[in-house]
Amino acid sequence: MTESALLHFAEHRLQEVALLFMAVVYALRLKWMFSFKFGAERQAPTGKGGKENRRRAVAYSLLNVAMPWAMESTRKNLLFWLQFVVFHLGVAAAITLSFLIPYAPSVVRPRPVVLAFQILTGAAFAVGVLRIARRLSNPYVRAISTPDDLFSLLLLTVWFLFSLLAAPNTPERGEGPLLAFFFLTAFLLVYVPFSKISHYLYYPFGRYFLGRTLGHRGVFPLERTYKPVVP
Amino acid sequence: MATIRSYKVQKFLERLPQKLSRPVVTSLVACVHCGLCTESCHYVLANPGDVTYAPAYKADQIRKIFKRHIDWTGRVLPGWVGARSVFTDEELEELKDIAFGKCTNCRRCSLKCPMGVDFAVLNRVTRGLLVHVGVMPEGVAVVSKDQWEIGNLMGVLKEDYLETLEWMSEELVEEVGDPAAAIPIDKKDADVVYAINPREVKYDPRTIKDAAKIFYYAGENWTMPSEGWDMTNFGLFSGDDELGGAVARRLFEKVQELRGKKLVISECGRGYRSTRCEGPNWAGMDIPFEMESSVVTMLRYAQQGRIRLDRRKNAISATYHDSCNNARSCGMFEEPRELLRQVVTEFREMYPNRAENFCCTGGGGAMSMSEYAPRRLKSAKVKADQLAATGAQVVVTSCHNCVDGLNDLIRHYGLPMKVTQLVNLVSEALAPAERKTRVHVRHAPVPAFAGHTILVADDEPDTLIFLTAWLEDQGFRALGLTDPLQVLEVVRAERPHLVVLDVHMPCRSGVEVYRTLVREEGEKRPLVVFLTGGGEFELFDRNCHPLPPPEGILEKPVDLNRLGSWLSRVLEDRSKP
Repeated sequence: MTESALLHFAEHRLQEVALLFMAVVYALRLKWMFSFKFGAERQAPTGKGGKENRRRAVAYSLLNVAMPWAMESTRKNLLFWLQFVVFHLGVAAAITLSFLIPYAPSVVRPRPVVLAFQILTGAAFAVGVLRIARRLSNPYVRAISTPDDLFSLLLLTVWFLFSLLAAPNTPERGEGPLLAFFFLTAFLLVYVPFSKISHYLYYPFGRYFLGRTLGHRGVFPLERTYKPVVP
Repeated sequence: MATIRSYKVQKFLERLPQKLSRPVVTSLVACVHCGLCTESCHYVLANPGDVTYAPAYKADQIRKIFKRHIDWTGRVLPGWVGARSVFTDEELEELKDIAFGKCTNCRRCSLKCPMGVDFAVLNRVTRGLLVHVGVMPEGVAVVSKDQWEIGNLMGVLKEDYLETLEWMSEELVEEVGDPAAAIPIDKKDADVVYAINPREVKYDPRTIKDAAKIFYYAGENWTMPSEGWDMTNFGLFSGDDELGGAVARRLFEKVQELRGKKLVISECGRGYRSTRCEGPNWAGMDIPFEMESSVVTMLRYAQQGRIRLDRRKNAISATYHDSCNNARSCGMFEEPRELLRQVVTEFREMYPNRAENFCCTGGGGAMSMSEYAPRRLKSAKVKADQLAATGAQVVVTSCHNCVDGLNDLIRHYGLPMKVTQLVNLVSEALAPAERKTRVHVRHAPVPAFAGHTILVADDEPDTLIFLTAWLEDQGFRALGLTDPLQVLEVVRAERPHLVVLDVHMPCRSGVEVYRTLVREEGEKRPLVVFLTGGGEFELFDRNCHPLPPPEGILEKPVDLNRLGSWLSRVLEDRSKP
């Protein structure tokens, strides 16, 4: 299998520089976030709260995303939650692909593996299209959408499409899909820290803070069958 | 576009960085605008199509300003990420309309956000910034002023407060025919200092009498403070942390001055949250005494047999409304239900409930903002439907604010329903002949017993109170249960050193409880002593194998001298390696 110098550059050096850039910006972003005070917690634990419960509550809060039954918003919108799962599996697949093609091409050579990647990224592409339609048609979502929201979604959807096309890794049949995929990946890596896509960086912190606060107060984990123990 | 900022806007923006903590910043940057929060808000459900009620839209109003001035993505590319500054007083007024008039800070959306964005906290921050520059509804300004100046949010003067207590005290004394039932004021070293909502003084003094009656029947050593008695804290609603700190500090210092052991907060969601949860943080104080809601206090009295309740006295169908502050923000879900089941003949659950319950629509200070009343009552349709679906005659809530909010919507929607609080129902269900007198003479704790916990399970309240009071006087931490079915649960939760078990109890005998303890806890089980009023009993497990003998058997009436020396011996033996 031969590849052009441009494709080699796109698969290797370009990705490495983009990744390094992203890491630096993320580090700065975290430093900025941690420059804000946390605030002392002086209240005594409430109800079933306490240190141990706080740990359980933080775990519950962090894993909430995998428990669609736990939140009314996901329980009542199971289809939306499934779209979320598919979309993020697609992200994971496309990222994996961006490493496997340049560094372990043999892994993605068998036809079933290629097909699996294509199914994941293809499904994510379809979800991306649905999400774009929702963002444009749902008045509530449209009212809160920024140009970045729409662009980020478009960018990922197109990226899914090119990762689907790049998955077979056959430069001999034309380098177009691979070049598009890797240049898009590099752009994504540079753009992500400035966009809403960086939400995954904040996710653990947001859920941690909420879990910690509500765990201390005995709200989390939500247990419908909890029975009180009165001191 | 205006380029010159008004003075108020400048001050607003100067204040912004001071309101930002790490959790607040995380909530500001983490929103992905997915819109999943939309349907959680009662305002949205009652106003379909109006996007300005959507939680993310409301939060975006402060988020835009934050991004423009604090977050560097918004400072570099403001239009791209939806960052926008404010310039005029009119824009602050628009912000006020959203922060005060379109959100009750109920936190329902916060629990529905997959990213963990705490919308209610963001709205409170916005309110605090607006209040800082004097932009607030008139009602908020008036209430805040009263709480700063007079010390309570309804401007109740000290003489009026004391006069009301005296009036209720006299009524109670007359009702029970015992001068000892009088409300004690500023009593030092009381076990319980009881703080109330000024609404009780002004509009509902019956709740004060009901609470006093419960304390009297429980034989509680309690008092009410003559000053600093307002446990509600408008700082929670106005977002003014300074007011929050001042009000909380006033109450905490009064309890310390009285050397009270526990602060009991009457049924009030805002009061409970702002005093018990947020107060120590706002006041910057580490609190040396315990604090609890009166719901927990009443439930404990019932569980320990200190009060006896007869649910037939409230022959009604009742449902329970969870106050947002009590439930979603402070985790009080089951205690009120447990108590309610003991005081009414029929309890009907409302759906959704607990953390998913809808706001009474009068929360977040909405009842003091008359300009938004039509909007509030329109959004109350959601709550009205929820109430109507239960078909209950009475809705019970543990919050004065909710009482007013629910009464208003019940009137507006013509529901055949009444609102009441647990304190009223408990007082009504009290069995008058069962008043227990508790011995308050405190002996110095015997050092050997300090730190030991003893659980007493006896279905006879007299014996239970007698024993737990005596054990407490000896320095033990004494827990009491009248329900044998709860023994295992309490043993697991509290790990007592010793369990005193009455042999003859209804539902499950002491022997059966002991059998369960041996089976479930094995060698980890606490020491056990049986109390028996005579008669024989056999100790066998389910397979007719003999059980290991308990550590002791005592006969009723209990000889305290014998019990004391027995406890010394057995606990000393256990502490030996």
